[in-house]
Amino acid sequence: MIERQRDLRLYIPVYSIFIAIYVFAGILEPTFFTWKNNANLFTRITPLILAGMAQSFVLLSGGIDLSIGAIIGLSSAIAVSLPFVDTPLNVVMWVLIPPLLGLSLGLINGVIIAKGGFNPLVVTLATGAIWTGVTLFIMPVPGGSVSLSIARTIPGTIFKVIPTPLVIFLVFVFICHFILRRTEFGRSIYAIGGNESIAYESGIPCTRVKILVYGMSGLLAAFAGMFLSAWMFCADALIGDPYILNSIAVAVIAGTALEGGRGGVAGIIGGAYIFLLISNILNLLAISSFYQFIARGLVLILALSLTSSGATLDIRGILVRYFLPRRSSMSEIGK
Amino acid sequence: MASKMANDVKSFRVASFFLQQRLIIILFLLIVSMFVAGEFVSKGFLTSYGHICSVLRSASFLGIVSIGQTIVILTGGFDLSVGPLVTMGNVFTCMLIKGIDSNTPWALAIIIFLGAMFGFFNGLGVAYLKVPSLVMTLAIGTLVTGITLLLSRGAPTGLASPILRYVGVGSLLGLFPVIILIWIMLSAFFVFLLRSTTFGRKIYYIGANEKAAFLSGVKVNFVKILAFTISGAGAASTGALMAGYTHDAFFGIGDNYILWSIAAVVIGGTSLAGGKGGYVGTIAGAIILVLLESLLTVMRMPEAGRRIANGLIILILISIYFMGERRRT
Repeated sequence: MIERQRDLRLYIPVYSIFIAIYVFAGILEPTFFTWKNNANLFTRITPLILAGMAQSFVLLSGGIDLSIGAIIGLSSAIAVSLPFVDTPLNVVMWVLIPPLLGLSLGLINGVIIAKGGFNPLVVTLATGAIWTGVTLFIMPVPGGSVSLSIARTIPGTIFKVIPTPLVIFLVFVFICHFILRRTEFGRSIYAIGGNESIAYESGIPCTRVKILVYGMSGLLAAFAGMFLSAWMFCADALIGDPYILNSIAVAVIAGTALEGGRGGVAGIIGGAYIFLLISNILNLLAISSFYQFIARGLVLILALSLTSSGATLDIRGILVRYFLPRRSSMSEIGK
Repeated sequence: MASKMANDVKSFRVASFFLQQRLIIILFLLIVSMFVAGEFVSKGFLTSYGHICSVLRSASFLGIVSIGQTIVILTGGFDLSVGPLVTMGNVFTCMLIKGIDSNTPWALAIIIFLGAMFGFFNGLGVAYLKVPSLVMTLAIGTLVTGITLLLSRGAPTGLASPILRYVGVGSLLGLFPVIILIWIMLSAFFVFLLRSTTFGRKIYYIGANEKAAFLSGVKVNFVKILAFTISGAGAASTGALMAGYTHDAFFGIGDNYILWSIAAVVIGGTSLAGGKGGYVGTIAGAIILVLLESLLTVMRMPEAGRRIANGLIILILISIYFMGERRRT
């Protein structure tokens, strides 16, 4: 029950800001509410949501994954380099090989980080560089192709009405939320992110859980890469680069704390929409695209100051420190 | 008898110096061996004075950016805004100077002030809002990119002035490249600052244990803000110096420096948890990164291979450091 209340406190701001921005965009440009525009938005948002969830898993466990971009690049390069294009065999391989690849790359990250006890930032930075290098060997120039059936279905519609991307991201968000909230693995992630030594003392297999977390991140990143390959109909080795930092931004806007242990994936749809709609609105207002960076930066700072642990600006502390007699500053220590 | 004891003390001091500094000694041996290896691949890699200077010149830009990064990482944070700030310094310098010498001093003052200001904002967010430095600097970096694009209207204009050109590519007496001399002076200053001043000691305390530092009366927030301010000013002025090297401005110039500066610090043996390491290692790290790039270029390695080699060398070095740490504990 308490957990549910905490969830609500976390997700109500995200989704109310999302709705506010969405309605604002619709007032600016009535065609914004059209089904066609929304279907287009679903397609654009799906890779961002998948990458954001990949990052959320790692952030919740107290780590960080900078190799997400490289895994997206490598999996989409593999997805478009598969042989026997336009045969069922190609479709089967497209469905199986990239996720397995992403999973194993993630697990390699996890093994190095958890078994070696190394800093995740440096390890994923280094492994990311290696995998981007491998991708550039496979695909020095953008190219490749996927089966026509995949390219039609994935960014298209099911039964000619329901946009496939909508189904894809709803299913993935539901599965990830379920894993985090209702399974032992999910609970362990929060425990490790909250306090690893206590988690270890209470018998949680920290090493195994951390390895699996990075595996999960690699798997979700690979799905994002596959989606991009189907949408773009080709691949580019550096297609994943923007997702490294965007995934962190989306996860943070969605309410996941970078220190680990707090947050979740239920806010991720709102977070990704906020991130995407800002540039969309500026386009609608015909404002120079240069402002998009400024707006994104400001929104990120705003989201951070609302979600970070020091958010309730310690006004009493500041008063005590600067305006009251010196003796009372001892009260700081008791905290 | 007394002289023997003095001798013993002396040899003990020498031994302990080597033991303490063995990491840095190993790093500089690595640099020398990379130069020697390069000589085998291509004649003149080690023996040509011009080539050594050009490697050190590229390393000096990375080295100056990494000063701030080292200080911030020592306090236990990260600074991802260095890349956008380098670009901002580069673009604005050319815009303000327009190739005229007399514009140079005040233009540089404005650039350094702007860099320090954005660094100060980073510090405010990290210290008072308790935002993790990784995202705070990411957000400020995005903001800086936007402002740079906006004020330059997306197309960098202007040129570096002759004085700045002299700093970037010229040599004192035709022998000592000016930028390398600047780097040496800055290095000496900041190594002194970190090792022998109370400010430097406070940085290490905060990185090692923030709470303990606070309880012993260190003004944690003030020191953190100052660390980020130094980093911001350093990154922006590097951008200005690079304008002298490249002659005109270019938008992507700072992009590599985000990860390279962190890599240089890590290769230099500074712990990412904060509180351990120093700038001397970072100097070696910066030279190693640039040297590796140069070596791979000489070997005609494609971009793909370069990235793999960069990643591998970071992985290998950090695993060596961690092995050493574990054996000690």
